[in-house]
Amino acid sequence: MNKTLFFIVAWLGLSFCPVYAEMSADEAAQKASHIAYYQGKDGRSSVTMVVTDAQGRTRERQMTILRFNIQDNGDQKYYVYFYKPNDVKGMSYIVWKHPDRDDDRWLYLPALDLVRRIAASDKRSSFAGTNFLYEDVSGRSVALDAHEMLPGDEKYYVLKNTPKDEAQVEFSYYKIWIDKNNFVPVKAEYYDKEGKLYRTIEALEVKDIQGHPTIVKMKASDLNSGAFTVADFSDVAYDIGITDDIFTERYLRNPPSQWIKG
Amino acid sequence: MFEKMIAFALRRPKVVFGIAAGLTLLALLQFLRVKIDTDPENMLPRNEFVRVFHQEIKKEFSLYDYIVLGVVNEKDKDGVFNPQTLEKVYGLTQAIPKIDGVIGYELMSLANKDDISQGGAGEVVFKWLMGKPPYSAADAERIKERALKNPLFYNTLISQDAKALCIYVPIKEKNVSYRVSRAIQGILKSYQGDEKYYLTGLPLAEDAFGKEMFVQMGVSAPLAILVIFLLMLWFFRHVNLVLMPILMAMDVVILTMGLMVGFGFPIHIMSSMIPIFLLPICVLDSIHLLSDFFENYAATKDKNKTVLHVLKTLFIPNLFTSITTMAGFFSLSFAPIPPIQVFGVFVAVGVGIAWLATVLFIPAYVALMKEEKFKNFGLSHEELKAGLFSRFLVGMGRFTLRRWRLVLAGTVVVIGISLVGISRIQINDNPTKWFARRHPIRIADSVLNRHFGGTYSVYLVFDAKDKGAEVFKEPAMLSYIARLQEYLGGEGDVGKSTSLADIVKKVYSELMGGEEASYVVPKTKEAVAQCLLSFESSHKPDDLFHFVTPDYARLNLWLQLRSGDNQVMARVERKTEAFLRDNPAPFEVTHNWSGLTYINMVWQDRMVVGMLWNFMGSFIIVLIMMIILLRSVVAGFVSMIPMTVTILFIYGALGWAGKEYDMPVAVLSALTLGLAIDFAIHFIERAKAIYAVQGRWPQTAEEMFLTPYRAILRNAIVVSIGFLPLFVSPLVPYNTVGFFMFTIMFFASISTLLILPAVVTAHPGVIFYEAKKNFLGSCPQCLLMSLVVAGAVAYVLVAYSGARWNTATLVALACVAALSMVCVLVSRSRQCFFAKKGVKEKERTI
Repeated sequence: MNKTLFFIVAWLGLSFCPVYAEMSADEAAQKASHIAYYQGKDGRSSVTMVVTDAQGRTRERQMTILRFNIQDNGDQKYYVYFYKPNDVKGMSYIVWKHPDRDDDRWLYLPALDLVRRIAASDKRSSFAGTNFLYEDVSGRSVALDAHEMLPGDEKYYVLKNTPKDEAQVEFSYYKIWIDKNNFVPVKAEYYDKEGKLYRTIEALEVKDIQGHPTIVKMKASDLNSGAFTVADFSDVAYDIGITDDIFTERYLRNPPSQWIKG
Repeated sequence: MFEKMIAFALRRPKVVFGIAAGLTLLALLQFLRVKIDTDPENMLPRNEFVRVFHQEIKKEFSLYDYIVLGVVNEKDKDGVFNPQTLEKVYGLTQAIPKIDGVIGYELMSLANKDDISQGGAGEVVFKWLMGKPPYSAADAERIKERALKNPLFYNTLISQDAKALCIYVPIKEKNVSYRVSRAIQGILKSYQGDEKYYLTGLPLAEDAFGKEMFVQMGVSAPLAILVIFLLMLWFFRHVNLVLMPILMAMDVVILTMGLMVGFGFPIHIMSSMIPIFLLPICVLDSIHLLSDFFENYAATKDKNKTVLHVLKTLFIPNLFTSITTMAGFFSLSFAPIPPIQVFGVFVAVGVGIAWLATVLFIPAYVALMKEEKFKNFGLSHEELKAGLFSRFLVGMGRFTLRRWRLVLAGTVVVIGISLVGISRIQINDNPTKWFARRHPIRIADSVLNRHFGGTYSVYLVFDAKDKGAEVFKEPAMLSYIARLQEYLGGEGDVGKSTSLADIVKKVYSELMGGEEASYVVPKTKEAVAQCLLSFESSHKPDDLFHFVTPDYARLNLWLQLRSGDNQVMARVERKTEAFLRDNPAPFEVTHNWSGLTYINMVWQDRMVVGMLWNFMGSFIIVLIMMIILLRSVVAGFVSMIPMTVTILFIYGALGWAGKEYDMPVAVLSALTLGLAIDFAIHFIERAKAIYAVQGRWPQTAEEMFLTPYRAILRNAIVVSIGFLPLFVSPLVPYNTVGFFMFTIMFFASISTLLILPAVVTAHPGVIFYEAKKNFLGSCPQCLLMSLVVAGAVAYVLVAYSGARWNTATLVALACVAALSMVCVLVSRSRQCFFAKKGVKEKERTI
């Protein structure tokens, strides 16, 4: 490596240090949450999730996710439409996300032509049988945890997040690594009630899309069972003009064709 | 040659003991690397299909062997569904996964299960069934109602009467179950209250049996030794002389086990029985010697001369009994069951060592003792005839001579009654029943199987022929599986069954509004798939893949049986096969069985049937050896009569008593054969030796009543009483061993002393004959021999046509052949021995 360049980078890094030190844990958590879940006014991506179990068997999910912000860092709406496996094609969800209370969810099953409201007592159940949880897809509210800055390194802030209501979750705390440059959360480690690491989420690839640093590949691993899921996000687009009205029961039965090809 | 051996032992006793001590030390050193294997699954070779398949499906469906923890509350009117009990269950569900060896995240408990239920209009609720404590009375009521309504929990996690619930604790390996169960018991101490806790499950029964078996080994074997020692002391009244055979027997056990461990064989459930088998065999040999020594010493008052005389007289019978016993046990190795092969070979080796030890140690030991120690030892001829025991022996002996017809008629009646009993024998086994009724595992087993669908797991795995078609998402296929479940549920043995069909039906009915009528498999494959994806959006999506593979090409139907009896398993298998035959599946599928309960049935079946065949093989081998040894086909057959009657009687008694023919009973049949023939050999050999002097049967008999009769009965009494302590063991196989030892010794000795003299009185020629080189010259002899050979050939053809030969089989075969050669040689040299002796006797009379 070019020595001069190296020194310049090192010097730049050092000179920014005081600025980083002033960053509070809450602020870092809020920024990371924003980068992961709230960029742009709305967004769309095609997602392929491949679950690999402990025996190396894989199963695939393919879907389109639409997102609409009601309020920055606050309420959001999601629309999830399944393409694969073939026999669940057309299954769709609508989620009205409320950071301060249980989400509202509706599920449409085309084979039964049935819309059901789903009341889930918590958001920590599996997302469509993958190693991602609902909360990983829609985001965990920053207000639910107490954040504490741990000694990080030059590249990352490390936050320890302890739930305020421990009874609601299966972990005792989790750590996240946040990229100091762009506030992308690149890794999370979950520790169980005995303090044992049992679950990780990693960002495998980050791209700049329309000026937004965007995770386009991530992996969730269940260390207990040995299974993991890799999610690929393609065709990511921000501010495409999604409207509030598509997140209703009517659009569950007839997906909005401008965003979702049936 | 044997005289040289004895002479050497008499001359250089210290050398003999020095070598023995050295070898013993070497054997003891081997125990440093002892491996213990208490897994009864190892009764089957590792590459056996059912074992390989069991491992495969355990991996494929993430199934584990479970310890079952039952929580029962009979005091509270709501059973276990009161806030206190539920909080304890919640606490246990949190605490047990922390135990090392438990697969925490696969633990099954109501406290970590998801529930799907109805919310408001058109609403489905997904939530943890129990949530977190504290619970109110209303919570408890709701949990009870929800749990009872969920077919996935009902009868598995909670009982119908709501008085009991179960926590299924998955373990990494079977051999940690005992340790894990101890740890659970430790945790339970802080959860005391109205609840009663029960721990059971096949892996625990198997592992606990292994552990407790070794404890019993340490208690029972020494206790048996002590009792035998005291009895012998009472008979012979000489501590030092009685101590000898006891020490010898222990040494033989150490040498044999050391040899086995040294060769790298683990101590398995079977081989842990070796000491119990060797002990009576060793003691038997030396009691014959001591008995004769005791009675002859008074005549000579010279210990060395007496011992030489006694050994000479008994050398042949002792050698014969050892050779036949060895052949009997070697033949166990023909069976393709690895632990039984090891067991057979090393018991046989032990018998060989015991024989060597007897002819070397006894003279060497006597040589080391001072003559003064024998001052008041032994019986004079007058003393011999006096006494209650002697009068009884003479009385019994004369009775058999006078009323021989009555004795033989009685024998026929006993055989007849026994045969009827044998036809009633039930072949059955169940490792849980290896524990006595009062054992905690047995109690837990009966309590939990009364409340629940069953603690015995069986897996019926279906494979679709078309791997790519996701056959097990097809509604027709799932309905078919559901029909099978319904059929099995109605037949009684299966208390509960769970399959993918149940999951689909449950999810579908809740999506459709929770009505009873919608508890069915939906009509299209897409609908099934969408129900399943909904199920996967729960806290525990992996639960699905205990019942189906992700490619939907393989399905696992989990059956719970209330009993682990082989007969029950066999009945379930038979009925299922019949159903599958009569009701062809809508798609082409194959099926296989798995699960510990099924594996147990397979190995126990193979073992019981294998032992039966082995037993017949041993019988033929011993018969042929007796024919060669006695150089008469007729005498060979006659010598087998008391043993045959004994065996028929014992198994007949089992049949009449309703005791099932299980693994321990199967194994003990080999011992019966090995021990029971000994008495006949002693009887015939001694009778021939005395006859050679006396020349007439009645006079010979009179002499027989005293010394040989006494030795035989003493043996019987010592060993049968010596093994009585086994009756108090909490492990049933030990009781069985005790029962067998008692009846074998008792009946074999009595039948020998009753039947043989009666047969001989009827026709003395059957055992007293001129020994000929070519004894097959006469027609009847030739005919009988050809029958034996034909029987042997037929046996080999039938028993081994389908058997897989392995190294052990070949080694065992070679050993039996070698032993037969020894037989031929011994019987030849003996002819000369007796021929010379006969000449001398004649000279003297002249």
